[in-house]
Amino acid sequence: MTEEFKPKIVGFLCNWCCYAGADMAGTSRMKYPSNIRIIRVMCSSRINTEMIIKAFQTGADAVFIGGCHFGDCHYVDGNYRTKKRIDVLKRLLSHMGIEQERLRLEWVSAAEGEKFSKTMAEFTDTITSLGPSPLREIKEEAI
Amino acid sequence: MKVGVYICHCGVNIANMVDIPKVVEAISGQTNVAVCKEYQYMCSDPGQNMIRKDIEDMGLDRVVVAACSPRMHEPTFRATVADAGMNPYCFEMANIREQCSWVHEDKEEATQKAIDLVKSSVARASLLEPLQSTEIPVTHSALVIGGGIAGIQAALDIANSGFKTYLVEKEPSIGGRMAQFDKTFPTLDCAACILTPKMVDVARHPNIDLLTYSEVEHIDGSIGNFHVQIKKKPRYVDPDLCTGCGLCAEACRLKGRISSEFDMGIGKRGAIYVPFPQAVPLLYTIDPENCLLLKHGKCGKSPKCEDICDPGAIRFDQEEEHIDIDVGAIVVATGYNEFSPVVKEEYGYGKFKNVMTGLELERIFSPSGPTGGNPIINGTEPKNIVFISCVGSRDKRIGNPYCSRVCCMYIAKQAHLLKEKIPDANITVMYTDMRAFGKGYEEFYERVQKEGIRYRRGNAAEVYEEDDLLFVRAEDTLLGEPYELPADLVVLGTGLVPSPDADSIGQMLHLSRSADKFFLEAHPKLRPVDTVIDGVFLAGAAQGPKDIPDSVAQASGAASHVVNLLVKEKIHAEPIIAEINEDACVGCKTCIVLCPYEAPLYDDEKKVVTINRAVCKGCGSCAAACPSGSIKMNHFKNEQIVAQILEVI
Amino acid sequence: MEPELRDYVGELLDSGTVAGVLALKDELGAVKPYLFTKNNEIGDLVLTSKYPLASVMSMLQKEDPSIKLAIVCRGCDERALIELAKRNQINLDNIVFVGIPCDEEMADKCNCLQPYPKEIVTGEKLSNWVPKNNYEDFKNMSTEEKLIFWKGQLEKCNKCYGCRNACPLCFCSDCELENALWVKHGRLPPEFPIYHVIRAFHLAGKCVGCGECENACPVGIPLMTLNHLLREDIKDLFGYMTGQDIEDENPINTKEEY
Repeated sequence: MTEEFKPKIVGFLCNWCCYAGADMAGTSRMKYPSNIRIIRVMCSSRINTEMIIKAFQTGADAVFIGGCHFGDCHYVDGNYRTKKRIDVLKRLLSHMGIEQERLRLEWVSAAEGEKFSKTMAEFTDTITSLGPSPLREIKEEAI
Repeated sequence: MKVGVYICHCGVNIANMVDIPKVVEAISGQTNVAVCKEYQYMCSDPGQNMIRKDIEDMGLDRVVVAACSPRMHEPTFRATVADAGMNPYCFEMANIREQCSWVHEDKEEATQKAIDLVKSSVARASLLEPLQSTEIPVTHSALVIGGGIAGIQAALDIANSGFKTYLVEKEPSIGGRMAQFDKTFPTLDCAACILTPKMVDVARHPNIDLLTYSEVEHIDGSIGNFHVQIKKKPRYVDPDLCTGCGLCAEACRLKGRISSEFDMGIGKRGAIYVPFPQAVPLLYTIDPENCLLLKHGKCGKSPKCEDICDPGAIRFDQEEEHIDIDVGAIVVATGYNEFSPVVKEEYGYGKFKNVMTGLELERIFSPSGPTGGNPIINGTEPKNIVFISCVGSRDKRIGNPYCSRVCCMYIAKQAHLLKEKIPDANITVMYTDMRAFGKGYEEFYERVQKEGIRYRRGNAAEVYEEDDLLFVRAEDTLLGEPYELPADLVVLGTGLVPSPDADSIGQMLHLSRSADKFFLEAHPKLRPVDTVIDGVFLAGAAQGPKDIPDSVAQASGAASHVVNLLVKEKIHAEPIIAEINEDACVGCKTCIVLCPYEAPLYDDEKKVVTINRAVCKGCGSCAAACPSGSIKMNHFKNEQIVAQILEVI
Repeated sequence: MEPELRDYVGELLDSGTVAGVLALKDELGAVKPYLFTKNNEIGDLVLTSKYPLASVMSMLQKEDPSIKLAIVCRGCDERALIELAKRNQINLDNIVFVGIPCDEEMADKCNCLQPYPKEIVTGEKLSNWVPKNNYEDFKNMSTEEKLIFWKGQLEKCNKCYGCRNACPLCFCSDCELENALWVKHGRLPPEFPIYHVIRAFHLAGKCVGCGECENACPVGIPLMTLNHLLREDIKDLFGYMTGQDIEDENPINTKEEY
C-alpha cells in the first residue's frame, strides 16, 4: 500500500500581518492541517524567486507567501512588489511545467486568524489533490 | 559554535499537544547543539536563569527558545541573553505554540512539526551574526493628534511631565465628542463641568502648543525623531486680537441660517461662529464655505463682522500656514464618529423628522443647545418615546459585528433624563442584550428601570408612519410575541465608527487596522496602547469604542509610554537593516526605485549605491530585487533563510 | 554597404560629432565589434552579422564617461541600449544612433517582434511584420509535457554561462547564477530547473528578445522560448514592453497596482 500523501508546504510570512494573523489563529485555537512550516520574514517582498525555487527544488510540494492587504503594508508598498513578483513567477513556473497552483499568495491581516486557518485548510486540500510536486519526484529519482 | 536549545512546555499549552521529550531527543544530536533542555515556563525567572547560567557556564554563543510567538517574547529573551553577555541578535525563537500546539489536533503530526521548526531555528541560529545597535538621540517633545477627552488627557499628562507637547485638533475648538454631551453616565456629572476645566488647562499650559483648526499633513521619520508637517487652516480672524466677545456673530448677515455641526445640524449658526460658548480657544472662525464675502466676494456694502469688530480682528486675507515640528513620540487620539443610520432604512432616519440619533438628543438636552435644554422635539414635548439599541452595532449585515460598548448606558442615561424632564412620558427601550459592565453601570440600569422605564428585549423591526403618527414594530423575544408602540420620538442608539480622519493618519503612520477598522494595538492584552510602529501610541476611541473613563485611562497609559521614551537621551536603533556590498554593486539603481524611505542613495563618485542606516526600516525588499545580490538584509540573509528552508522540508 | 550609410557615418566622423562609430568589422572573414575612428576604415564596416553591441558600448562608456560615440544598431541593439540606460549602465546623451533594419531572413531567425529601431538611416523597415513562430506548439503542450520538454532540454546544459555572457542585459559583476546557495557548484547538469528559472526571472522586464543567449548556447537549448513567453506575460500583466522609452520603469519593481 502506498503511503498517504502529505504535502510539504513552506510558508513565508511577513512579520506584521500574515505572521501575526497566524498567531491570531493560534490564540483563537482555530485548527488547521499541520503541513505548513512557517518561515518569518519582515516583509513579503523580502522573498526572492531564488528562495521559492530553492524550496521547490529541495522537495516542497507548495510554497505559500503571506503578506499585508494593499494599503496595510508595514513598509508602505512592499506587498505590491510581492504581488508582481509572484504573478510573474507563477507564469514562469507554469511554462516550466510546474502547476502554478503550487505557489500561492494571500493577504492576511493581523486580525484575520480565521482567514489564515481556512486558507491553510483549503491550500492543503488543493495540494493534496494535485499530488507531489514534480520537482520532488525528480529529486527522488536523482537519489 | 555552541547553540543552547530550550523547549518550553508553556504549562500544558504546548506539552499537551507536542511530545516534548521526543523533541529534545531529536534536537540533542543536531549539529552545533551544545545543550537541549525542556522547562515548564521558559519565560519565568527560573527559565530565564537557566539560559543565563548555561551561557555563562558553557559559553553558549547562540540560543534557541522553542515556545510561543516571537512577537510575544522575542524581546524578553533577547534581553535575557544580553544580560549574560551574549549578543541579543544571536537569539532565535521557534514558534511551537501559536503556530503548532494551539492549531493542530494530531499529537504525532504536531510533534513532527515542532521538531522541524526547532531544527530550522537551530540552523538559522547557527548562521545568525552578532549585530550592534546604533544610538539615536531623542527629540524631547510629543505630538497628540486629536483634541477630544483622550487627546486632552494625554497632552496634559505629557506636558505635566515637563515635555513640550503639540496638540493638533481639526475643529476650531478642542473638546471633541464629550463637549457635545449633556451629562455622563452613570454618575450624571455635567460633561461640560468636568471637561471645560481640562480644556482651559490645556490652553494655559506652558508646555502645550495648541494647534486648533489644524490638520496633520505629513509625517516621516521614526521613533525618537518624527518630522511632522501641520496645516493651519485660516480662521480669517487674528487670534491675537479676537477677544471672543461675539459681537461679530451677532452681526453676521447669515446668523441663524447655517446648520451647526456641533449641534448635529439641529441648531443654527452664522458664517462667523464659535462651535459652543465654552470653546477653547475662544476665537471666532469664519466658515469660508458659507461666508458671503469669501464665497461670493460681496457681503452687502461691507462685511458687518468687520464693521463691528472694535479690535479689528477680522482678516479676510488670512492664508493657510504650514508648520514643521519635530517630535520624539506621537499619540493618535482621532476618536470616533456616530454611525450614520441612513443605511438602516427600516428605521426611517432622515425620512421621519421625529426619528433622531443619540448624539442629536444629547444636544437637545444641553442647556447651551438649540432648545436651551428643554425636551422640545420639532416644537412639541414628546410623550411616547422609544429607544432602539444596537443601531450600527452588532450588525453583521452592515459590516459592524462589534459592540459599541457605550450605547446601552447612554440610552439608560437619556431615558432617565427624559423621564426627569417629562415625568408623564411613556418610555420604552428596545434592547438586544443589556451590557452594563462598568463600575456603577448595573446599579444605574436598575435605578432607571425602577423609575418606570420599560425595557423590552428584542430589537425593533421597523418604524413607520400612519396619520402623522410614528409606530415602532418589534418582537419581544422574551415573550415571543410581536408588538407595536406608537411614538412621537424615536431615538436610535447609534454605535461608534472610526473617525474618517483615521484613514489619512493611519496611512501617514503606516498603522494597521483591526477588522472593525479601528486602529490595531500592538497586542490585544498586554500592549493595548502601543502600535506596531515604535514611538506611536493610541488613546481613546481611535483604538475601539470606549466610554469616557476608559478613554481617559488609555490616554494616561499612552502618555506614560510617551514619557518613558522622552526621558531617554538616546534610544537604540534596530541594526536589522539592509547593507550593501559596494564592491559588487553595479549602480543599477533598482533599489532606489523601489525603496519608499529613500534609504538607498547613489554615490556619484563611486558609481555605487550606499544605504542611509538612519532611515532604512529593514523590510528587505531591496535585497530581494538587487540583481547582483549586492544588498544583504541583516538578520534575514539569503543563507539564513535557505538554512531554514532546508530543515523544514 | 549602402552608400547612404557610408556617407552618414563618414560625416559623423569627419564633422567631429562623434569620436568613433561602434559597429562590426570584417577582418579576414571574421566579423567582430570594432570602433571606427577614421573615415578611411569605413570600407571594412559590415552589416551582415549580428553581435550584442550594447554591452560593448556600455564598456566603452565606463572607460571614458564623456566620450561621444555613434553605434550602428538594429532594433534589438537599440532596445538593449534603452534598457541599459534605465539601469544606469549607459548614457544615451552621448550616443548617436545609426539605425538599420533587419531583413526578413534575420527577423525570422530571431522570431523578432520588432526587427527595426525607431529611426533608420538606410534600408526599409519590414512592414506589417508579424513573426511566424509564436511558440504555439509549446503553448499547446500540457503542463506535464512542458515539464518533460524542459527536463530533456535542460539536461544538456553544461553550465558554460554562454547565455549570460552573451546577454546584453546581464551587466552585474557578481552573478546569482554563480552563488552556490542557489546553484550547487561542481554539478552537471545544474539541478533542474533553478539555474534557468533564475536567469529567466532576472531577465523578466529586461529581455529585449535579441536571441543572443540562444545563439550562444553550445548545446542548443531553446532559451528564447522561455524569454519570449515571459515577454508576453509581462505585456499581458502590466502592458509593458521593454526597450521603448527610457522613462518606462520595469513594472516588477514599481508600486503601481495593475
